[in-house]
Amino acid sequence: MRREIRFRLNGEPVSAQVAPHETLVEVLQDAFGLYGARESCAQGLCGCCTLLVNGRAVSGCLYLASLAQDAEVRTVEEGKALDAVQQAFIEASAFQCGFCTPGFVLMTRQLLDEIPNPTDDDIKHYLSGNLCRCAAYPEIIEAVKLAARKRNPS
Amino acid sequence: MSPFELAEPRTLSQALDLLDGEGARPLSGGTALMLMMKAGVFRPRRLVSLAKLKLEGIEPAADGGLRIGAMTTLRALERSDQAFPVLKRTLRTLANVRVRNVATVGGALAHADPHMDLPPLLSALGARVAIAGPGGGRSVPVEALYAGYLENTLKGNELITHLDLPPLGKRRAAYLKCTTRSADDWPSLGVAVMLDGDEARLFISAATDRPTRLAAAESILKTGDVKRAAEAAAEEVHIEGDLHGSAAYKKQLIRVYLARAVHEARNAVH
Amino acid sequence: MKRATQSTETPQVGRSVPRLESWLKVTGRAEYVHNLRLPGMLYGKIFRSTVAHGRIRRIDVSAAQAAGGVYRVVTGEDIRQLIPEPYFGPAFHDQPILALDKVRYVGEPVAVVLASDPHVAEEAAHLIVAQYDELPAVYDEVEAMTSEAIVHDTLKPAGTFPDLKHVKGKSGTNVALDFHLRRGDAPAALKKAERVFEHRFHTQQVMHTPLEPLVSVAESTESSLTIHTASQSPSFVRIEVARLLGWPENRIRVRVPFLGGGFGAKLYIKLEALVSALSLLTGRPVKVSLTMEEQFFTITKHPTTFRIKTGVTRDGRITARECEVWWNGGAYADIGPRVTQKSGFTAPGPYDIEHVLIDSYSLYTNRPPAGALRGFGIPQLVWAYESHMDIMARELGLDPIAFRRKNLLRDGRPQATGTVLRDVALDKVLDRLAVLMDWEKPFDRGNGTLRRGRGIAIGFKACVSPTTSLAAVNVSADGSCTVYCSTADMGQGSDTAMAQIAGEVLHMAAESIRVVHSDTDVTPYDMATLGSRSLFHMGNAVKLAAEEARDKLDVLRKELGLAADAEIGDIFKKKYGMQAGNVVGTGSYIPTYKSPDANGLTDNATPFWMVGATGVELEVDTETGRVRVTRMVNVGDVGTPINPKIVETQLSGASIMQLGFTLLEKMEFDGNGQLRNASLAEYRIPGFLDVPASLTSEAVVAEQRSGPFGGKGVGETGTFGVSPAIANALHDAVGVRITSLPISAEAVFEGLQGLRA
Repeated sequence: MRREIRFRLNGEPVSAQVAPHETLVEVLQDAFGLYGARESCAQGLCGCCTLLVNGRAVSGCLYLASLAQDAEVRTVEEGKALDAVQQAFIEASAFQCGFCTPGFVLMTRQLLDEIPNPTDDDIKHYLSGNLCRCAAYPEIIEAVKLAARKRNPS
Repeated sequence: MSPFELAEPRTLSQALDLLDGEGARPLSGGTALMLMMKAGVFRPRRLVSLAKLKLEGIEPAADGGLRIGAMTTLRALERSDQAFPVLKRTLRTLANVRVRNVATVGGALAHADPHMDLPPLLSALGARVAIAGPGGGRSVPVEALYAGYLENTLKGNELITHLDLPPLGKRRAAYLKCTTRSADDWPSLGVAVMLDGDEARLFISAATDRPTRLAAAESILKTGDVKRAAEAAAEEVHIEGDLHGSAAYKKQLIRVYLARAVHEARNAVH
Repeated sequence: MKRATQSTETPQVGRSVPRLESWLKVTGRAEYVHNLRLPGMLYGKIFRSTVAHGRIRRIDVSAAQAAGGVYRVVTGEDIRQLIPEPYFGPAFHDQPILALDKVRYVGEPVAVVLASDPHVAEEAAHLIVAQYDELPAVYDEVEAMTSEAIVHDTLKPAGTFPDLKHVKGKSGTNVALDFHLRRGDAPAALKKAERVFEHRFHTQQVMHTPLEPLVSVAESTESSLTIHTASQSPSFVRIEVARLLGWPENRIRVRVPFLGGGFGAKLYIKLEALVSALSLLTGRPVKVSLTMEEQFFTITKHPTTFRIKTGVTRDGRITARECEVWWNGGAYADIGPRVTQKSGFTAPGPYDIEHVLIDSYSLYTNRPPAGALRGFGIPQLVWAYESHMDIMARELGLDPIAFRRKNLLRDGRPQATGTVLRDVALDKVLDRLAVLMDWEKPFDRGNGTLRRGRGIAIGFKACVSPTTSLAAVNVSADGSCTVYCSTADMGQGSDTAMAQIAGEVLHMAAESIRVVHSDTDVTPYDMATLGSRSLFHMGNAVKLAAEEARDKLDVLRKELGLAADAEIGDIFKKKYGMQAGNVVGTGSYIPTYKSPDANGLTDNATPFWMVGATGVELEVDTETGRVRVTRMVNVGDVGTPINPKIVETQLSGASIMQLGFTLLEKMEFDGNGQLRNASLAEYRIPGFLDVPASLTSEAVVAEQRSGPFGGKGVGETGTFGVSPAIANALHDAVGVRITSLPISAEAVFEGLQGLRA
C-alpha cells in the first residue's frame, strides 16, 4: 500500500515511501529525522505539529502525507541562521519547556507575512490555536511585536 | 489509524463513481475527518480526495450574490474581498488559522457537527448548496442538509459542489456564539440572525443537534418585541444538557444571546 | 587564541541570562524522549480497564496476538514471571506495572501490545477482550472514609517513610495516611470564641497536561538496562527499578533530556517500570508514548474536601482554627500521603493562630491516581482558607487586606507546627500586592449587566523536607566549566540558574558553562525535580561543588607558585606540561530536619517557606454568569531572584495555569467512573484569549539566607492565591460565593438566580 511521494522539504527536493494513513508529521520524523513538528494533542488544537505546506500553516498531525505530493513543505528546521522571529522569541524569553515553540515560530512568521504590524488583538486571535501549557503567552505577545519591529525597522 | 486506500480523481464523475460502495468517503480539507479516523470512530476503506476537482473559487453570481466552490478554504473566504463582513467576523473565531487554511466550505457544511459556526449563519442568510450525484444535480437550502448530530442528508455518492449565497442587499445579519469554558472552546450556543425589514430569519445551533430555525421567535420579532421573541426562542426548541451546560442554562443563553444578536444585526454595518 | 572561558567580574546572579538552550528550542532541535527512535525498537500500546473496580476474570489476547505485525502481547501475569512482586510507588508499593488480580479505575493499564509499527500496535490493542467481575466502587473522598467499597485489600507502605510504618498490613480501610496536628486546644478555644465561622470547600480533579505526553524508552542486555525517560526524578527511577528487579543500581542507567513540561506529572515511576519489563521480556528496545488522552488515566491532581472552622474576636483577631482535609488520591497512592502531611500542616494558612487542630486524610478511591501538581496540595488548601478568610472579613465588616494583615505570621513567630518562620516575607508580599492593586483607590464597579469586582488572596508553602541533592562541577584544562546535576529542566530554567550559580562562584559567564543533563551513569544523585526544591537544594549543592573546584584551583596555584589571579589554563599547563587534566569539585546538600512528634509538632519542619499572593479584577456578565478576569497581579517571595526574567515568567505562567484550574478545567466523570472529557477538545486549558489583558508578576525584595546567593524556589508560588482571589473578586462583584472549583459560568448564574429569589 506504500507509494512514493515527492515534494520539496525546506527547499530540497525529496521523496519518501508513505502509507495512505500516515500523517505528514510522522513522515517528517520517521523518514527525515525532523522532530521540530511534534504531535501532542493529536487534534489540531495545540499547534505543536505546525508545518507550512505551500506557504500555509497546517496541523501536521491531521495532514495526510500523501497529500503533500508536489508540495513545498517547510519546517522550523529550515535555514541556518536565526530569523527575526526566532531572535525575538529568545530576547523576549517567550518559551519555557520549548515543546510548543516551533509551532509558535512558524505561526508567527505567517502572521507577520499577513499582518506586518499586528495589534495585541490580532496576535491573540491569530495564535489562539497554539497552546503553551507553561503559559508564556504574555512573553510571546512581546516576542511577536519585537519580531515585527525587527522585520520593519523604522 | 487503520489503513485505507486514497483515491485522487480528476473529474467529478470519476469521484462520484469512486464514492459508490461501502466504506468510501469524500475527503476535502480532512480536518474533521482525520479526527474521527484517529479516534477510531470512523474506519473508511477508501478516501476520495476532492483536491483535484477544481471546486475552489469565489465568484460573483448573476443575482449579485456569491457562488462559493465547495473546496474553497475557510481562510480564502475569510480573506476574500467579496465575503460579507458577517462571514469574515464569524470566520475569524472559527477553530484556528491552521484549520481554516485547510478546511473547506463544503466540508464544513457536510460534516454536520452542530457546534460549527457556518451552518446556522449560512442558513440564516438563505444560502443554498448545490449537490452533484449520479442522477444529476440538485440544490437545497443549507438547513435542509441536516438530519441530526453528525448526520447530513447527502446520499453516500453525492457531493456538494458549491454554495450559492444570495446578495445581502439591505438585509442585516449577525452571528454570535457563547463558549462556557475557554474562550475558544466549542460553543454552547451559536445564534444567527438575519433581518430583512420586519422579517427575520433566526437560527440556533450547538445547543441543538443541528441548525434549528426559530419560527415562533421569528413571528414574534415582527412585532419588534425582542424580549418576548427571545423567551419564545428558548421555549420552542428541545435542548439537552452536556458538558457545556445544563438544558436550563442553555435556554438562558438562548434568551440572552438571541436578544444580543438581534441588537447586533440591527446595528450591523455592511 | 580565544579562551574557552573568559574570567569575568560581572555578577552572574541577578542577571536575566537568556536560557542556555534557547537556540535549540527555537530551531526545534532540543532533545526530548519524544524524538527518540532506536534500531529494532518496538512500540507498546496500552490496553486499559473499562471498569472502575473489578476482579479480572479473563484477559483474551489471542486475536491481538494473531494480528499481522504484532510482536507480542504482554499482561500483568507475564510481568509477574519476570518480577515476582511487580508493585511500585514512592509512598506505598501499591501500583502494579500492569493490573494484577484486580482493576481499580477506568483507564488502568491491563495489557500491552508490542509491534514495530505503532499503528499496528494501536489497532491490535482494540482486539483484546477483558472480562471483570465488577465490585462496588467509591469515587468521593469523604465517602471513601466510611465506604464498604475497599480499593486495596491491605496497605503496603514502601518502608522508606518511617511515619507510614504503623499502617503496614492494615486492611478494610481506604485511608492511606492520616495526619493529625494539635497545637493548643482548638475545640476549647472555639467554644470561647466571640465569633465562629465554619465552611466547606471542594476542589475538582484536573490534569497537568504537559504538551509532551509521558514517554519512556528502555533498552536492555542480560545484565543492564538503559531507560530514556521524560522524568522529573531519574535517581528515584533508578533506585525503584533496581528494587523491582533485585539488581544493583549500577546496572541501571536513567537518561533524561529536556522535558516538554512536567508540573509534577513526570515524577516517580510512570512508564519506566513498564518499558523496563517489556524490554527485558522481549530483548528489544521498547518505547511507550502516551497520547494526550492517556495522560488523563495516568496522573492527576487531588480533588479535595476541606472543612474549616475559625474562632475570631469581634475586631478580627483569629484565636483558633480547625482544619479537616480529605485528599482524593485515586486508586494508587503515588505521592499523595506526602501531600497529605507535608502540605497538610500548612492548612491553617499563613496566620498566627494560638490554637490549631488539623486532621488530614489521604484516601484511596476508584479514580485515576492523583499526585503532585504545581503546588503539592497547597493551591487546594489556599482555595479554602483564603475564601474562608474573605467571607469572615465581610461578615466582620473588615477590609480583606487589613483583616489578613492583622493575623499574618511575622518572621520570628511559630507556624502551626511550632517551626519558627525565618526569611519569610509574608507582610512585604501582602503590602506590595495592596500597592500594585491600588487597593486604597476608588474602584469602578461597573453597571447594568456588567459588574466588576476585585479580590486578593495570599498563601504559603513549606518546601518538602528532608531531601538530598548532589552535584559535581568540572573545570577542564582550558578553563571551561561543566556542571553535572540530575535536576530535570522541564522549562523552569534550571540549567540556566545552575550555570549562573556556578558562574558566580567561579567568575565565569553563565553562558559559557555547560550543564549536563541527568544521566545516572554520570550525574550524581538528586531526590527529584519537584516542589520548587531544586533552586534551593541543587543550587546549594552546585554552589558547594563550584566552591570546592575553585578552592582546588587556588591550592594548585599556590603549589605551582602561580599568582593568585593566574588564568586557569596556565595552571594546568604548568602542572601537566600541556593542556591536560581537570579539576572536579563535588557538593552535597541536605537540610536539617526534625520529624513531627505525636501531636504533629516540630521546630524544624522545612528549610524554607515560599509566599505567593494574587490580586484579581474581573467582570461578570450578570445575564449569563460568565466571568472575565481583566487584571491579575502576582507577588511572591522568592528570596533573591537568581534570574529575574525567568522568575517573572515562572510566576506568570503558574498563575495562568491556576487560572485554568479555577475557571476552565475539570475532569468530568459519569456515575460509573468513566471520564467523559479525556481530550484537549473537551478538557480546555487556557489559551491566548483566556489570559487577562493586564498581568503583572513581581518578586519582592527578599533574601533566603540559607539559599544559594539568597535564592529559593519559585515554580509553584504563582499558583497559590489565584483561585480564591478570583472567587473573592466574584463575590465582590455580584455577591455570589462559589465554594467548589471550577467557577463555571453556570454556577455563577445559579448563584445570581439564588440572590434574586
